[in-house]
Amino acid sequence: MTTETNLVNITINGVEHRVPEGELVIRAAQDSGTYIPRFCWHERMEPVGMCRMCLVQVETPRGPMIVTACTNQVADGMAVDTENAEVKKAQEAVLEFLLANHPLDCPVCDKGGECPLQDQALAYGPGESRFVEIKRHFEKPIPLSDLVLLDRERCVLCARCTRFSEEISGDPLIEFMDRANTTEVNTFPDHPFASYFSGNTVQLCPVGALLAKPYRFRARPWDLTRVESSGLYDTAHPRVEIHASQNEVLRLVGVDNDATNHGWLSDKDRWGHEYLQSEHRLTSPLLRRDGELVEVSWPEALDIVASRLQLVLEEDGGESVAVIGGANGTNEDAYALSRFAREVLGTPHVDARMDDGLSAPFLAATVDRALISDLDEADTILVWGPDLKEEHPTLYLRVRRAAQQLGKKLVVVHPRATGLDDRAAIKLTYRPGGGFALLEEIGDGTHPEVTAALSAQGVVAVVGMASVADGPRLAESVAAMVRRTAGSARILPLHHRSNVFGALDMGLAPDLGPGRVAADRPGKDTRQIMEALSEGTLRALLLVGADPRRDMPDARVAEDGLYGAEYVVSIDLFLHDSNRDADVVLPAAGFAEKEGTVTNVEGRVQKVNRIRPAPGAARPDWSIIEDIAGHLGRSLGLSSAETIAKEIAENLPLYDGVTHDFLEWEARDGVVVPRNGRQALEHIPVGLEGPQAPGAQLTLHRARTLYDDGVRLRHCRSLHSLAPGAVAKLNPADAPGLGVNEGSAVMVTTSQGEGEFTAVLDPSTPPGVVYVPMNQVGAASLGTDPVVRVKVVN
Amino acid sequence: MSVAPVVTRRMTEHPADSHGIERYEATGGYVQAKRAIGLTRDDIVEEVKASGLLGRGGAAFSAGLKWSFLAPERPAYLVVNADESEPGTFKDRQLLERDPHQLIEGIIITAFANEVHHAFVYVRGEYAKPARRVQRAVDEAYERGYLGAEIFGSGYDLDVTVHLGAGAYICGEETALINSLEGLRGEPRLKPPYFPAAKGLYMKPTIVNNVETLSNLPHILAMGAAKYSGLTDSEDTGTFMMSLSGHVEKPGNYELAHGITWRDLIYDVGGGIRGGNGLKAWIPGGASAPWFVPEQHLDLPITKEAAAAAGSMLGSGAVIVMDEDTCMVRAAERVVRFFSDESCGQCTPCREGTTWMEMVLGRLESGLGRSVDLDLLIDVSDGISIGLAWPPKMTTICPLGPSAVSPIIALRDYFRDEVEEHVARGGCWFPGAVVSGGATPQTPRSLHVASAVGEGRSPDQVAIEGDRT
Amino acid sequence: MTHWSEATRERARQIMSRYPEKRSALMPLLYLAMAEDGYLTEAGMEEVAEWCGITPAQVQSVASFYTMYKREPTGRYLVSCCTSISCMLLGADDVLHAVEDESGVPHGETDGEGLISVEHVECLGACGGAPAVQVNYELIEGVTPAKGRELVNWLKRARPEVVNGDEMQSLFGGRRSFEWAIAEEDGAIGPYPAFQPLGTMAREPGK
Repeated sequence: MTTETNLVNITINGVEHRVPEGELVIRAAQDSGTYIPRFCWHERMEPVGMCRMCLVQVETPRGPMIVTACTNQVADGMAVDTENAEVKKAQEAVLEFLLANHPLDCPVCDKGGECPLQDQALAYGPGESRFVEIKRHFEKPIPLSDLVLLDRERCVLCARCTRFSEEISGDPLIEFMDRANTTEVNTFPDHPFASYFSGNTVQLCPVGALLAKPYRFRARPWDLTRVESSGLYDTAHPRVEIHASQNEVLRLVGVDNDATNHGWLSDKDRWGHEYLQSEHRLTSPLLRRDGELVEVSWPEALDIVASRLQLVLEEDGGESVAVIGGANGTNEDAYALSRFAREVLGTPHVDARMDDGLSAPFLAATVDRALISDLDEADTILVWGPDLKEEHPTLYLRVRRAAQQLGKKLVVVHPRATGLDDRAAIKLTYRPGGGFALLEEIGDGTHPEVTAALSAQGVVAVVGMASVADGPRLAESVAAMVRRTAGSARILPLHHRSNVFGALDMGLAPDLGPGRVAADRPGKDTRQIMEALSEGTLRALLLVGADPRRDMPDARVAEDGLYGAEYVVSIDLFLHDSNRDADVVLPAAGFAEKEGTVTNVEGRVQKVNRIRPAPGAARPDWSIIEDIAGHLGRSLGLSSAETIAKEIAENLPLYDGVTHDFLEWEARDGVVVPRNGRQALEHIPVGLEGPQAPGAQLTLHRARTLYDDGVRLRHCRSLHSLAPGAVAKLNPADAPGLGVNEGSAVMVTTSQGEGEFTAVLDPSTPPGVVYVPMNQVGAASLGTDPVVRVKVVN
Repeated sequence: MSVAPVVTRRMTEHPADSHGIERYEATGGYVQAKRAIGLTRDDIVEEVKASGLLGRGGAAFSAGLKWSFLAPERPAYLVVNADESEPGTFKDRQLLERDPHQLIEGIIITAFANEVHHAFVYVRGEYAKPARRVQRAVDEAYERGYLGAEIFGSGYDLDVTVHLGAGAYICGEETALINSLEGLRGEPRLKPPYFPAAKGLYMKPTIVNNVETLSNLPHILAMGAAKYSGLTDSEDTGTFMMSLSGHVEKPGNYELAHGITWRDLIYDVGGGIRGGNGLKAWIPGGASAPWFVPEQHLDLPITKEAAAAAGSMLGSGAVIVMDEDTCMVRAAERVVRFFSDESCGQCTPCREGTTWMEMVLGRLESGLGRSVDLDLLIDVSDGISIGLAWPPKMTTICPLGPSAVSPIIALRDYFRDEVEEHVARGGCWFPGAVVSGGATPQTPRSLHVASAVGEGRSPDQVAIEGDRT
Repeated sequence: MTHWSEATRERARQIMSRYPEKRSALMPLLYLAMAEDGYLTEAGMEEVAEWCGITPAQVQSVASFYTMYKREPTGRYLVSCCTSISCMLLGADDVLHAVEDESGVPHGETDGEGLISVEHVECLGACGGAPAVQVNYELIEGVTPAKGRELVNWLKRARPEVVNGDEMQSLFGGRRSFEWAIAEEDGAIGPYPAFQPLGTMAREPGK
């Protein structure tokens, strides 16, 4: 977004420049080619002017003054000197002061080789230390959390980490403690830095003070190979750089871009790559023989798969086969799968969603879709959907910024507390299952402040399923309401799993065809597929990167379907609950092991890249699918991700011109499709009928958490243990009536499931609500019914 | 030379009960506040501007002008800076303890003139008794309807909250004080953009005035700007309070007229040096001020301009006198230690530089000095206050760090021989010298140097790359 | 989860009503927490965090900035000896050493009984009556090393419930910065300032 800015004339070291009025001197100089050294200043955070490294001289009416370039704005006629003797003296002095107490343990410091303090000492430093006194000593390093360590001796007190946690992520758990020469960064005793965004502080740290436990002592920066890509958990697809050494991905760092993540990453996106190197990765095709999955060669596996599918096709036709998955791969994978399903198998029964998503036309083709950057322009932002902090971390940061830094009015509606509540002007809660009742109340004018906020000129509505009990229709009804009340509404419908949007665009939905068009011949969705498999009206199932048994809200449906399926082929990275009983499991390449494109939640297409080979015989999904098609005698003619992308660009007007070359050379931060703004299908959200609020005493809120027992996270040792586990959270006020104490074992029962959980008394869950995070280790699936009973287990 | 006291008159004439509201009202108290509420706001601001009243907190900026910079947005706040903590300064304590209603009347006048409805008195935490006195006076004023809703029966509301600090000199800096009042660390804010007149307390326009400044207001209104500014022949109008301490016979607070000389102050007002000793140096305006010495400065008039021309300032009005038996290294160490202890820690040069200087001075005093140390001190100071100019070219957000170099300038300009003799003699020879471990109770410092001495080398043999142990 | 008494909570509500924004009550609430527990405990900081709507880390960040919030167990009598420049010029270091020696408590520490803590502090604003000493922030001016020893012994022996500045000044003080003729009966009841809005005075004024 660009607004009209006045330009002013300034001189930097005697050279004239025209720069935007009001720009900070440090940025104006940088954009004009003069780098001013700095530690504390960061483009995405408020300046604090603390390190004093960026001192420059400016001419003022009171004569030349030494000022910090990071806190002073340019004005017309300003003369800036960044290199005269006084400035040099000041810069050298600051560096000598910083190094006075610095331990200089660079040889054993992770930051060595990519350390701004090292670099600036070389460029601007005095070259020797005259400090002969005793250095400050602290215990080295102390854990701030399960993921981050702090070496206080190295810290230069730039406040980047503390500002990040307060200004950006909104969890101020690390702070400056003490003062003067004994100032240090630390946590409150027994309150660890348990932030979903803690890794950003490691990346921000201009010295080796903050250290990532997963990366510590793993590599020297100069030994790393690097490639840019997009993160693949977060639906916003944050821009990342992948760093690897000897074919092993060692870390991801955030790349600053305006469109999505501003350089920030959730810890899940930052460290959730550990599964790639897991010993449990599938490295060879597996074939069921005598009840056991045994390793076989690719030709053998492909022959068997082709011949079995051929048999089914011949006997009952393509309509007896279904495809579930494709939301965790690339667009190229999804395109191959979509073509395979429609052209080779001849089935309309394809779905990338797991019975936990909004309708495909609403997700993919809603009119007036909001871009993430629209948040910055809105008058009111409505978030009625998941807790963004848990499920959509980049969006969480962007909404938070819009509310906190840009002063946007934020309305949050969710069954319990969310990470955005402290920045919300209005927060409403509702009992799970009671969303439609609340919507009706808002329509009736029962909440005039909400009505007023939603009647603003520009409203961005971020909508999704807050709770599985919401069902797929509530969010669309909310969108329809906002379109009625707002002067101009923009809608951002949310989905689970990273590349659902790309998969839908490639046609992996029962009611959509490739290219965001209505399907010629509607098929069954995931729930219907499972039901049909269970009934025997469908015979074979192809699972691609999908674990419906864990991911479908009602696990019984998945279990019955998988049990009833005659023939199941799974393409995946790991064995899991849904493919352990499959007939064939084919090993797939994962993130950073293949090239391709992905489409994020706002419809932005970006490139993902390869930095390591897939283990063993694992291969990209598209190539496995091409080979199965070939063995069926119906080759799709796919030869590389790049050529598939070309084919997509040529065949689907929606993706016109979006080739790998285009994304690599012309649109590194991606491009929102359709580029011309016109799409064939325009879905207008409609207000739908919904269930009445349950009259039950207790209602069940099931929702996802950032860390869970998902297939990939299960194989990330740094993160998996951070998941909340099988807990049932209750308001303390409900505890006495139920006879529950903190830590009690409780049996939680719905009409669709039952299981034992550990009770947690949690004031952020309202009275009358039981909150059970989904997909946790040892946690039973409880289905979608919000009516729930809780009994203490003796 | 001497003037009739203004702000200390009531306490001088009625020592037994000058703090109570009965005495205050019996001696003309609250008459001006009541009158002010009948005046226009502009009239009051103009009167104060015309009086030439300068802020008494240290910066000596025109009080009336400061008010006229207040941004139009409302609500606005008045914050009374009663965080008197500059070493040598104890005048506000006297005004707070002994004439708190005079301050409250000044608050009412200032608040009304600036459309303020909530004032805060920020009293340093160690001033428990003064704070109690002010709180009691505030309670009395509320009881009589001089504070609270519709004061003096007018339509004007004013609340006053007395807030206790908790031990941080830096909170005397106005933006640090505002942070502290907001429940934050007392770290000075950036200027620009956080000028209190526009973005002060809660980001609203805020006036921060010192206790003595506000205490003058009832008198300016009572006698009129012309008479007030005519109290003295000097360009610096009105009276001012000086806190005299150190080696004088008669330390204490004195209300004086600008323009007398330092000789008058030290030898007449202060009764001369203890025991008839010789005068070695004095700090003319609180610990932040560069030092004066008799040979050059004794006959200078005590005015803002004369002090500035001589490279120092009147600052908070605190004069600390040192006689010939005073070790200048130890005195410098003590002043530098203060700033090192009280640094907020934000700015690198202040946080690291002041501590470094304190360590080197401690080493010199305890006999571990090196001949390079004075030049090192000067150079370290140069990194905090470029060129050691006056007024300082600061490398920091606030003047605390640059204040810490004032004693080093004195060592460089007047006492170089004494520093060199500390090196040559292996420590201090003045009375009360403490060898090893420094003059102050502290952990042993400079072990590199100490161990070198233990090995039979001289401190000078500890090279600059001494941190390679 | 509170461990504060209802009286303390009522006091906290009164304090909060004096400020337009609740975080501004942080500093007085920290004193309140000290008065409740004898020093600033972790539980006290967590309590204050809840009152102010911030995290305990934010509370500790502020508390640790100021020297008067004692986060370690502190004696019933906190003896603070000024050693800044004006006091130092008149022998403050000797007073400090005398107090340390007589109490057996090095500066920065507390005796085993929890009776006396000793600290050296920066300027107390009593330079005209140097050297200055405070006990629980009640001031004594013109203290000599001998009087400093007497003060320590008196605290050990008399163990006053209320530490009164005028009384201590008359017993152990000398020259003052300025004369003060008003006798105060009130004083401090613990190692934190005696101030009516905090409820840390021996009695309410006027009663």
